[in-house]
Amino acid sequence: MGVLASAGAVVLVSAVVALLKPHVPALSLGALYVLAVVPVAILWGTALAAVVSVASMLAFNWFFLPPYHSFHLRESQNWLALAIYLVIAFTVSALAARARTRREDAEQRRAEAHALAEVALDLLRGRSVQDELGRIAALTAAVFRVDAPRLALGEQPPREGERALPVEAGLRCVATLFVDAEATIDEAVQRRFLPSLAALLAVGVERGRLEAEALEAEALRQSDALKTALLRAVSHDLRSPLTAILASADALASPGLSLGDDDRLGLAETIRGEATRLDHVVGQLLDLSRLEAGVVEPHRELWHVDELVGRALAGVGAEAARVQVEIGPSTPPVEVDAGQVERVLANLIDNALSYSPSPSGVLVRAEHGSTELRLHVIDSGPGLPPEERDALFQPFSRGRAAGHGSGLGLAIARGFAEANGGRLWAQDDPGGGHLVLSLPLAPTPAPVRA
Amino acid sequence: MSARVLVVDDEPQILRAVRTSLRGAGYDVDTAETAEGALAALASNPPDAVVLDLVLPDGSGTEVTRELRTWSSAPVIVLSVVGDEAEKVAALDAGADDYVTKPFSVEELLARLRAALRRADAPAEPVVEVGDLRIDLEKRAVSVGGEPVQLTPHEFALLRVLARNPGKLLTHTALLREVWGRGYGDESHYLHVYVSQLRRKLEADPARPRYILTEPGAGYRLATRS
Repeated sequence: MGVLASAGAVVLVSAVVALLKPHVPALSLGALYVLAVVPVAILWGTALAAVVSVASMLAFNWFFLPPYHSFHLRESQNWLALAIYLVIAFTVSALAARARTRREDAEQRRAEAHALAEVALDLLRGRSVQDELGRIAALTAAVFRVDAPRLALGEQPPREGERALPVEAGLRCVATLFVDAEATIDEAVQRRFLPSLAALLAVGVERGRLEAEALEAEALRQSDALKTALLRAVSHDLRSPLTAILASADALASPGLSLGDDDRLGLAETIRGEATRLDHVVGQLLDLSRLEAGVVEPHRELWHVDELVGRALAGVGAEAARVQVEIGPSTPPVEVDAGQVERVLANLIDNALSYSPSPSGVLVRAEHGSTELRLHVIDSGPGLPPEERDALFQPFSRGRAAGHGSGLGLAIARGFAEANGGRLWAQDDPGGGHLVLSLPLAPTPAPVRA
Repeated sequence: MSARVLVVDDEPQILRAVRTSLRGAGYDVDTAETAEGALAALASNPPDAVVLDLVLPDGSGTEVTRELRTWSSAPVIVLSVVGDEAEKVAALDAGADDYVTKPFSVEELLARLRAALRRADAPAEPVVEVGDLRIDLEKRAVSVGGEPVQLTPHEFALLRVLARNPGKLLTHTALLREVWGRGYGDESHYLHVYVSQLRRKLEADPARPRYILTEPGAGYRLATRS
């Protein structure tokens, strides 16, 4: 390409000289050949430009200096003119080539600065180095002009057909850049760019580590607070039924007490009732610890919510008669873990019943859009102030009428709802306490055939 | 002659409470504390029914059930705990008839035991009635309060399986196998939806079913009385 263009340039300038020769002294036209040399020097460098200089000098001599069509020169000053021309051509081409290198160098440095700025921005936006490795590798591709490089954190061995370039900050190898084994890498760029990149990556990695530590510390702090609350709740919610059971059993077993049949029955009922309460609290503590430990894995199946509400009502017992259910026959199925969502609903209904003084009731109503189904659980209590709404879902919170339950029910309900891709929140409602459970609808419609 | 019940549990306190209650209710009670002991007692003195803890020191109640089912059809009621639903379903699929969840009330256990023993003796009925629901298996006719109900073939097949075993807990696997055969595939995903559709046709209030009852995490059963 370069050679062809050079030849073309010499031919073109020769043609122009031939055209002008009748009007201007031939010797002065020799300077026009510089016009062929300069573009060649800019585009292809000094080596080719030197060749073009010599070639154009020879062409000028051959075609335009007497004797024509011979490299001999009739007049000796023409030798001097050609020598001066050559010196000028070499000098100009060297200057032009240097300008070209400078421009390339400037572009290279701009590409490097751009890549570093992009990496810095990404890391400033809080993205983790690990997640951004692919993007950072793509940015280095532009800097080194290589295809599909790969970036890995730490010092890593290359795979087959790869060459490893260590990304080092000081003595520490932050990451390794892998390029094709055949690719040519500019060493100056490597020496200049990789340490800057390494410094940035080191900052990013370090910050990621600090963030993880901070999160861990926060989790520990919260779990400490939770443990304190747990211990307090355990001592109250487990001890009081145990106390009642022990006292009743003592009375039944005591030979010195004269008890009628009614008394015995009453004591036995107390033992049964308190044991049931104890079982409930233990079940909730187990649910909560499973949620806290993150071992809840929903077994998702298609269910109609009236079935799930039915199961929850069956677990609530005689109180369920106070619950009014409004679920339309066209309500689509949801894809959830039935046992877990049943627990959510049972806790919501239980909570609503406890805030609805008998004989007033609780309303459970379903409505659905195209992607989610909402179950509203509305009690006939006094409702709750906005500032208490979020605290409601914290374990061991006892909102509104304090003293009811262990305060675990709604925390568990929210945990299970979220594990099933749903949400649970308290809604503003002047009519009473109003909780909303949203569940994702099954992605594909259920078959109508049966 | 009163029915003989074998009670298997490794907790002495539970064993004593259940033995006392069952004897009080008029049953002859044998006990065992291990899987090996249970199998020995089953072979030497075959009971009319078995109450079986799922977790035993030397094996599982599921294994005992599977072994027992190779030669006996005596009803088995397993004792399960919350959080062990998978083992409970495995035992039911292995041939156990019913379950109660610990902690259970003695009355509930007695009710389940009575129902299981009654089913073991009862001949299959061509017409099953539960409250207002009437299922005529021979004529393939279903009515609620005298009003005929139109069912699709799959809905009727589902109801027929339940009606042939009134009061018996049928696991999801058992229902799918009976209705769709061994080759059921996607249907397992939709079983609950089919049951809900059936319920909407039969029940006055599908959220408070009176006929087709859900056993959480295990299966369905047809109520025996309304």
